[in-house]
Amino acid sequence: MIKIPYLAALTTLFSYGLLFVFGQLRDFFRKIFDCWSHSKLQGYAPICLGLEDFYIRRLYLRIQDCFNRPISSPPDAWFDVVERVSNDNNKTLKRTTKVSRCLNLGSYNYLGFAAADEYCTPRVIESLKRFSPSTCSTRVDGGTTTLHTELEESVANFVGKPAAVVFGMGYVTNSAILPVLIGKGGLIISDSLNHNSIVNGARGSGATVRVFQHNTPYHLEKVLREQIAEGQPRTQRPWKKIIVVVEGIYSMEGELCKLPEIVAICKKSKAYVYLDEAHSVGAVGKTGRGVCELLGVDTADVDIMMGTFTKSFGSCGGYIAGSKELIKYLKYTCPAHVYATSISPPAAQQIISSIKVILGEDGSSRGAQKLARIRENCNFFRSELQKMGFEVLGDNDSPVMPIMLYNPSKIPAFSRECLKRNVAVVTVAFPATPLLLARARICISAAHTKEDLIKALEVISRVGDLVGIKYFPAEPKKQQLEESRVKFE
Amino acid sequence: MIGRLYVQAVPTADLNRNTDWFTYPGVWTTYILILFFCWLLVLSVFNCTPGMAWTVVNLCHFVVTYHFFHWKKGTPFADDQGIYNGLTWWEQIDDGKQLTRNRKFLTVVPLVLYLIASHTTDYQHPMLFFNTVAVLVLVVAKFPNMHKVRIFGINGDQ
Repeated sequence: MIKIPYLAALTTLFSYGLLFVFGQLRDFFRKIFDCWSHSKLQGYAPICLGLEDFYIRRLYLRIQDCFNRPISSPPDAWFDVVERVSNDNNKTLKRTTKVSRCLNLGSYNYLGFAAADEYCTPRVIESLKRFSPSTCSTRVDGGTTTLHTELEESVANFVGKPAAVVFGMGYVTNSAILPVLIGKGGLIISDSLNHNSIVNGARGSGATVRVFQHNTPYHLEKVLREQIAEGQPRTQRPWKKIIVVVEGIYSMEGELCKLPEIVAICKKSKAYVYLDEAHSVGAVGKTGRGVCELLGVDTADVDIMMGTFTKSFGSCGGYIAGSKELIKYLKYTCPAHVYATSISPPAAQQIISSIKVILGEDGSSRGAQKLARIRENCNFFRSELQKMGFEVLGDNDSPVMPIMLYNPSKIPAFSRECLKRNVAVVTVAFPATPLLLARARICISAAHTKEDLIKALEVISRVGDLVGIKYFPAEPKKQQLEESRVKFE
Repeated sequence: MIGRLYVQAVPTADLNRNTDWFTYPGVWTTYILILFFCWLLVLSVFNCTPGMAWTVVNLCHFVVTYHFFHWKKGTPFADDQGIYNGLTWWEQIDDGKQLTRNRKFLTVVPLVLYLIASHTTDYQHPMLFFNTVAVLVLVVAKFPNMHKVRIFGINGDQ
């Protein structure tokens, strides 16, 4: 639950209103000036209808230097951010040759595999020499190497399911699988804050889509009962199939899904459960196997488990794990398997090696150390931020922590001030988040040392004072408590 | 003291990012405060009677809200692939459901403004006519029967 200070809500709405008014005024004058200038494309329909790109032209471009920052080194705990300059007030940005070494609080580098690793990198280079960077073919034609079969077995074993299939891109995994699993006459019930890939896949499938309030199992039950009772939209026939789509960790909230309750409700109504573990696989759970392990849910109860390799494994691609029959069906029908190029062999080898490290099969205990370190790091960081008075979302044990900013002007202020002090953070605003709830999202990694975290805390505290985002009262430090006690005596 | 007042932001089930901000707390208060400050601004800039200032605020409110709620169609970003391109903002809020709390509030505001403007100008002639036209157009545009109706095809899809 997000608690907004009332004054912050009022000022945020007022600021957005002001930005909107100025944007509309500028558009109005631009239209007048454009009437006079002669356009070369007379008679052609305009590419944008004038209102569609309003947000990008008048709001996003003003603070464009806070997004899309290019980097010139691997996204490890510290990396090089390329500096950019603008001569026309942020409408265009030019890269310079200067780089600044910054602390990386934005990459999804949960277990620290993003930079060169002593076990994984030699094996990746060897498979690069042996198999070449691309298979140059789809899985069906000639793109299935021994690495691919080994990878699918390894993933299925890691996640706890009988079989798995792997694709070259994580976004495509969701948007190409949902249309294959369900079609017209089916029902998809998805969480209101699901990722764009799930929304696209659900829209592309042709099934009816209903949404339930974020992470609220009783609302899911209400929606399920209503929909099962009503049936399909015009014909009132029973639904052919019902799939409930939830995510393990929601990337914008840092919250864990209430999986046990949701699985119990779906079992009662005989609906299928589709779990998207993009951010949770490899990062949570005692041995890193994801939310099912953390929350004690049997993997046989979750029908389709999906995940990506970009976050904890330091590679690219996505997977779907399920029963043997499901995976066999997907291999015949899914367009991402039949028509898209297979995952690159060095990337596949990186995943296999990182899974071996996490499970301890490389002969060392580095995997268990990484998992313990990320848990310590994120719990320490979150509790320190909350003690300083920031509003931090997310559950304990979740490596994603959004810090609430609210006002649109605090977004570039926070981002630029942190960059000046060599800390790189990612800020997220409308329309990826609701209008009032802009935030800075921090992703903790196992590669961050205690000194890195302490430096980050100092910088964020200083910038938070400057920008004014400490919405909750800060806990007084122990020294001050003792001094006041002494004075009293 | 007011700085320490907190409200819960209940996540809505509204998928349309163009209209879900209207369900968050603080919107109604901001709307009323903006109208009040516009009245103060008009009074201080034009140095007119309070009644004239309310009439000016009422007419500007008419022009602005008619243009943005009932004329402009679609959403200001392209993420939703244009599924709302034929609907005005008024038709998009609350997912098309009629007579919700938000819609009732937005219908009452022009009425209250009309009452204040006509009372403070003592129901005198040219102002009364313009105020009445403004409130009639705005309230008729918000009737549930006018959902997706385009009179004479004005502002219809090409």
